[in-house]
Amino acid sequence: MGSCTTRRSLLAGAARSVLAGSALWREARATEAPAAPVALAGCASYGAELLPTLTRMFDQIGGLGRIVKGKTVAVKVNLTGGPESRMGYLPIGLTTWTHPGVIAATIHLMGRAGARRIRLLESPWKSAEPLQEHMIGAGWDISLFTSAAPVVEFENTNFLGYGKSYVRFPVPRGGHLFPAYDLNHAYADCDALVSIGKLKEHLTAGITLSMKNCFGITPCTIYGDGAPQEEPGLVPLGGRFPIHTGSRQPPKSSLSEINPDSPREGGYRVPRCVADLVAARPIHLAIIDGVESQTTVETVSRNATYVKPHLLVAGTNAVCVDAVGAAVMGFDPMADRGSLPFERCDSTLRLAEELGVGTRDLTRIEVIGGRISDLVFDYRKAGGSRPATQRKG
Amino acid sequence: MPSDTLLPFRWPSEWTDPALLELIAGSPINCVLLEAPDADGAVAVAARKAGVAVLHWKSLSATPLAEVKWDTPAPQRVITGLVWPRIKMSAAGRSNDVQAGPTGAPWIDSNAWVAHLARVRGRGAPLWLSFEPDKDAPKPDTTAYNIAIADSAAAGARWIVTLDPQLRRGLMAGNGDAARTWRTLLGMLGFFEQHRKWSEWEPWGALGILSAFSGEYEFLGQEVLNLAARRNLHYRVLDRLVAPGTLPEALRAILYVDAVAPTPEWKAALDGFARRGGLLIVPRALAAQFPGGIPSPSALPGYSTRALGRGEVAVAARDWDDPYFLAQDAHSLVSRSRDPVRLFNAGSLWEHYSESADTKAAVLQLVGFSNRPYDSVSIATARPWRTASLYVPGGASVGLEPVRVDGRLEYHLPPFSYFAALEFGL
Repeated sequence: MGSCTTRRSLLAGAARSVLAGSALWREARATEAPAAPVALAGCASYGAELLPTLTRMFDQIGGLGRIVKGKTVAVKVNLTGGPESRMGYLPIGLTTWTHPGVIAATIHLMGRAGARRIRLLESPWKSAEPLQEHMIGAGWDISLFTSAAPVVEFENTNFLGYGKSYVRFPVPRGGHLFPAYDLNHAYADCDALVSIGKLKEHLTAGITLSMKNCFGITPCTIYGDGAPQEEPGLVPLGGRFPIHTGSRQPPKSSLSEINPDSPREGGYRVPRCVADLVAARPIHLAIIDGVESQTTVETVSRNATYVKPHLLVAGTNAVCVDAVGAAVMGFDPMADRGSLPFERCDSTLRLAEELGVGTRDLTRIEVIGGRISDLVFDYRKAGGSRPATQRKG
Repeated sequence: MPSDTLLPFRWPSEWTDPALLELIAGSPINCVLLEAPDADGAVAVAARKAGVAVLHWKSLSATPLAEVKWDTPAPQRVITGLVWPRIKMSAAGRSNDVQAGPTGAPWIDSNAWVAHLARVRGRGAPLWLSFEPDKDAPKPDTTAYNIAIADSAAAGARWIVTLDPQLRRGLMAGNGDAARTWRTLLGMLGFFEQHRKWSEWEPWGALGILSAFSGEYEFLGQEVLNLAARRNLHYRVLDRLVAPGTLPEALRAILYVDAVAPTPEWKAALDGFARRGGLLIVPRALAAQFPGGIPSPSALPGYSTRALGRGEVAVAARDWDDPYFLAQDAHSLVSRSRDPVRLFNAGSLWEHYSESADTKAAVLQLVGFSNRPYDSVSIATARPWRTASLYVPGGASVGLEPVRVDGRLEYHLPPFSYFAALEFGL
């Protein structure tokens, strides 16, 4: 009995020191994570006020020239789900996708700032069709983009695309889920990466802003259902559910996950994958379109509510931008699993912070333009306080 | 009665009582098909007396598509061996367990592609499609019958009305539920007869699909037609086995499916089509047949393009073996921007788009394969039509006003079930 008590006491002591070590480690990481100013602005519509608002915001964060001048700029947009889906009769850019006006305005301003080549990137779900076709499917006129700057290109990065091989991106500090990710060449053949996300909640990850937007840079020919066992598939045959569920490893040509015994749960895995990706493939400019959006979920759904937060967020550090984004949605960016919006998942913000990508601590982030307290739009109140339900698979 | 006015009904052999002809009195059904042994019985006599055409099933030369003798003249083409149009259930057979295709979209059985091919091969002869409910599938309900009628009619064919055993027995016994189903079915048939002109309009398509659709290319050619329809890619059937006529005006691209050199006539027609600005999509094996400029990478990975006159030739880098991906490639190469309409929230709706000969009117017929009502369907049109009228079976036509969305015109449809048509005019 006595030895058992001793052992228990020893184990409890060890656990305490592990926890203490972990907390200290996290704190140290959080302290050293970089901070960068974030521009926050109200924007009443996607009409005439959009361009001047974005212009002012980019100036507030130091100007676009230093990020894009003379460079090839990759722009990852958020076009999740099928292009023909809508909430009611609303065009998808008002609810689920990055609005075409925000994309076009950003392209225009980057072109004006001297970007040499602008490449729009996205990995449409289960599809190898040209990205332009995916956009046309939503009723978009792609000349809106091609006429906005001298050289504008498109690439579907859900497969090999125009590349000859995939490019391996190791995750600094070893990574949370995978040690490295094999991605379409477009994420390597660029000088700067811009992520334009949407101000939305997410069933699995709690929120989907500029970082979660990068979950879609993973090619389904490697990380999707239906990927072959040995080599990447030629075309995507399924979605990214294996990343959600851990139901299978990528083909042998890519690296397997770090710990195959880790939880097979989307709320654990997806935030880690996103944090890994933004650490491995840094974002140079993060923009969140919150002019009009939807609550509750990330895709077209009857459970969502159409909302008009009238907000835009931009900055050069994606964690800082998403921390401000979470705050203006009415969430605490320092929250973690168990607290909204992360009721059933880990915080991508915290995990990215641990990888040294950026800080989520609002006391360390300079917010320029609007004040969070003035512009906050409570997503849970607008959506009827419905917490996101954990997706299975 | 001219054969193009006949609306055929396969008279159940157990309906020996001529009084049952009362069921079709005053209905659009004006032709009964009798099995040979009953051909001169009381039913036949009474039907003729009532002005109903009587045909013997065995005299119709009804055959599966592959066995139709297209060179032999026939008052109508009768094709058998077809599927009951529906969303395909999985082998497990649970009612909510739907089979999915490569994209995860539900797999839909439809005979529309057969009708498109047969209309071209039959050169205008009326087309009758024969299919009946699967024996091991659930008994078709009223909606299922209406979908069966619409799938054929929207593609310009007529379904030979064929009832399931339970409905046959119910009608014979005067059952109320059966009578209601029957009345709805007759109403649906009448709806399409009222709008018969739609089936006389030419199906529209920016893409021509050229194949022999038989022999070595039966599977690939036919399945490309089927799967193009599944993704609402509007096409025109081009038959490689006959000499090319005048190519439809709306064609912007031709997909040459077969890895067989074209006849000199087809070679000249295709060459001319490309030189005038069209896009030819050809298999790898035929690259040498259409030498153009220096190959350059295509917007679609897996293809190279080369200039030919004012047009282009897109050559596949790999052999085609999967009709789904071939249809998808063709759609990407011809571009969705060529689609005459774009639907949103269309789910399992299949589009049929035809234009009148003078191109001053068009109809978009939407066949829905789901039992659920279609809600919040939006339609964007490529052409700026002046008028748009919505037709649904059993309802009065409704004029629709366009709504400007993101700078283009859209029509927002009220909820409907299994079929709707929009007639556009200038």
